[in-house]
Amino acid sequence: MAVVELDQLEVRLGGRVILDALTGALQGRAVGLLGPNGSGKSTLINTLLGFHAPSRGTARVFGADIRYQSREIRGQIGYMPENDSFIGNMSGVHFVRYMAELAGIPSRHALERAHEAMFYVGLGEVRYRQISTYSLGMKQLVKLAQALVHGPRFLILDEPTNGLDPVARQRMIKLICDVRDSGHTHLLISSHLLRDIDETCDEVLILKSGRIAAICNLEEERRANRRFVELETVAAGDSFGVAIRALGCECASFPGGRWKLVMPESAEIRDLYKIAASQNVQIRRMNYRRDSLEDIFLTAMDSKLGAARVGV
Amino acid sequence: MSVFKRNYRPFTGTPTSRAGRFLVLMRYGFSDLWSSRITNVLSLLCLLPTLLAMAAIYIANNNAVRLLISNATGSGGPPIISINETYFYAILQGQCWLALVLTAWIGPRLIGIDLANNALPTILSHPISRVEYVLAKLALLASFLSVVTWVPLLLLFGLQSYLSATPWAFAHLHIAYGSFIGCMIWILLLSLIALAVSSWVRWRIVATGMIFAAVFVPAGTGNVFNAVMRTTWGRLIDIPWMIITLWQRLLRVELPRYFSRNEVPTLPIILALTAICVLCASALNARLRAREVVRG
Repeated sequence: MAVVELDQLEVRLGGRVILDALTGALQGRAVGLLGPNGSGKSTLINTLLGFHAPSRGTARVFGADIRYQSREIRGQIGYMPENDSFIGNMSGVHFVRYMAELAGIPSRHALERAHEAMFYVGLGEVRYRQISTYSLGMKQLVKLAQALVHGPRFLILDEPTNGLDPVARQRMIKLICDVRDSGHTHLLISSHLLRDIDETCDEVLILKSGRIAAICNLEEERRANRRFVELETVAAGDSFGVAIRALGCECASFPGGRWKLVMPESAEIRDLYKIAASQNVQIRRMNYRRDSLEDIFLTAMDSKLGAARVGV
Repeated sequence: MSVFKRNYRPFTGTPTSRAGRFLVLMRYGFSDLWSSRITNVLSLLCLLPTLLAMAAIYIANNNAVRLLISNATGSGGPPIISINETYFYAILQGQCWLALVLTAWIGPRLIGIDLANNALPTILSHPISRVEYVLAKLALLASFLSVVTWVPLLLLFGLQSYLSATPWAFAHLHIAYGSFIGCMIWILLLSLIALAVSSWVRWRIVATGMIFAAVFVPAGTGNVFNAVMRTTWGRLIDIPWMIITLWQRLLRVELPRYFSRNEVPTLPIILALTAICVLCASALNARLRAREVVRG
């Protein structure tokens, strides 16, 4: 079952169409939500949470319709908002416990889980301090803790690395990857930082002007990219080409010892090294064709709407 | 295993019911309110008149004490205090105006505390609706105010019924339900005004002043309207006048002609109070959103 299914979803706010007939299915364990400012990322998140009602179409989260089953959906979601969102005069653990109880955790378990969540995100030592005294990075982490405390099936993170220094960012990315790898939780991560999405997500939804510019399975892209290899060699003759073709590769040679290959699934990079070693060929440089997330994003931004790339 | 060694894990127990989550909002609200010493002191002060009224009822119904007092004062006339509609009306008034003071203190924190650091999106992202959120805050304030309004009044009614030598309760049931209904109308009105102000004004001192202003400023405006237009319909924005009139009618208090409040019927008063409640509910609806709506 798809985590999120978008079915002609349209949302209007103040008479303006913010999300325009979004259709698609998000199935990845961690889905990145990308798009320029004003493309509708936050509106999509708010609509999934039931904060905005669709004006047309609908969306389903784990099969539950956002129009009629908003409460059930919210019961399965953990949400980390983009901006500050806490009760300043509460201690961190008290706030997280409060949110856990609101999510339906019985009081006796909520306190224990709040302590766990605070330690898990690395705020164990400051859990009794008032949140208003926390640094920006700590506030981000306490937002993550409250989103995680009830063990949601679906975690929505809106700009989780906003305002974090490189160390704190790395820590946040590690936590997100850890949650993703736990296998219990699906993630939807909205971010402006392509690198964050690249490091954490296996699928990406790119929005542009309220419409889907691309839905792309990053894992498949990465796997496919691994098959296109460029080599720069010294002393590679025809025999090198023959040996490579014998592996099942399609290859073409260019002046200056440059080779371009498309490798089959059965062949590994190590096989190329073995052939090179057996023929005394030096491999000076090896490049994968890097159709990076940035390329995917830029292509999506350049593409005409309606001719969106849907690679799932 | 110690909590600091545990890893991320889902919750496998049984979640609480919908009503349970509603009560969570109330419980945390109470916990916050009672954390203030001023709230504690104010609440106790609000109960002091009830203790005095209890003592008065005891004295009024105790022949030995009455005899002692009349001997001490040398008066052999009628009892000093008669426990009747006017007595309960006086207590009702006192308690209800004290409830206003209490509301002005605790009201601004109720929603303001969640709006100060934009906690509403996080709270409403849980399985709880905006209506439930407002109802929980309303119930919190209403239960708080009940403790200083109709609950002591009904206790006094019960005490008087118990101590009275003659059958008293059935002949005066209108005092009991009049007090209860009168207090509930006042509590609902105060709670909605307090929540509406709390949602719009973040600075506590200003919000406290605004609650008083919301009650008393329209009264002045209504009187000016009456004077200029030579009418009495300006009373319909005079909250103190309307509520006092309702209390008098509910308790069937007979006042001297000078204080007669018969110029405006009950139905328009009820409609006017309903309109004020609807206005406050609209103000809440406009303000309490998990996200700001971008217009353009």
